[in-house]
Amino acid sequence: MHTNGQNIIVSGGSRGLGLHLVSQLLKNGNKVATFARSRTPEMDALEKEYGDSFHFASVDAVDADKVNAFVTEVCDKFGGRLDSIVNNAAIGQDQLLMHTDLDTIQQIVNINIVGPTILTRAAIKRMMLQGGGNICNISSICGSRGYAGLSVYAGSKGYLDAMMRALAREVGEANIFVNCVAPGFFESEMSSVLRPEQLNTIKRRTPSGSLSNDENIFKVVDLVISGTTNMQGQVVFVDGGITS
Amino acid sequence: MERQEILDTMNLVMTNKGREPITEEAVATRDANFRSLDFSEVALRIETKLGRELTFDAAAMRNIETVKDVLDFFEKATA
Repeated sequence: MHTNGQNIIVSGGSRGLGLHLVSQLLKNGNKVATFARSRTPEMDALEKEYGDSFHFASVDAVDADKVNAFVTEVCDKFGGRLDSIVNNAAIGQDQLLMHTDLDTIQQIVNINIVGPTILTRAAIKRMMLQGGGNICNISSICGSRGYAGLSVYAGSKGYLDAMMRALAREVGEANIFVNCVAPGFFESEMSSVLRPEQLNTIKRRTPSGSLSNDENIFKVVDLVISGTTNMQGQVVFVDGGITS
Repeated sequence: MERQEILDTMNLVMTNKGREPITEEAVATRDANFRSLDFSEVALRIETKLGRELTFDAAAMRNIETVKDVLDFFEKATA
């Protein structure tokens, strides 16, 4: 455990990896807020268990006014500071570009690019005035390597990596640390679209012989947002070595 | 926003960082140790006071050389 006593926003924390990140960060003594388009039973359970240390709201990630209001609401509730954000919300893709309709492309761009940009913008304004903070984008190995069927998704993750590097230059001097954690194919709802033989091929090509899981990724996110590493402007791969 | 209020905001940023307050408009921002991120922080503090966002191109910031330029810039931006 590296991070405790922080006020943290995790986008898209109502299920999947986001839910795991939220749950573990709460368990480690942080105050955590998350938003998603719809509330899940797990959000009710976390509210019951953690009371005022947890905050959930249904927010459209591309509605800048609502995201700004959410950040203000969270800071008011948690005592003013925003120590870290984790840009986790994303949607996947499993289509060749030539067969992907424009609505799907627009949706991926909105959720995976516009959403994290809006949240990051709101967060760095807070962090500038409070004297620092941590921003962690959940990127992907797809942002650095080519995989068929993931062109728009890959582009969106490459965007996160590139934005992170520029932003690290913009705000690093203000003690704001900006980094990406890039999982490989991991056991998730997104990888559930892969056939068993595809998953076995990925495992066979992975030096560690296994897919990463939510807990592997949490451990790295926890370190990245701890503010203890002086790591700035980096993409950390959590992929069992498949990109090595 | 009044020129003096902008200068006070600049000096709040400076003194919060343990630097000497600015007294002369003619001095170069570099010589006053007023950095580009300090300019951004002043903008954010003014945004908070005004309750509205100030957006501008980086090119506008690059043209700023003196404390007077900073005061002129924010005076115009907040008019």
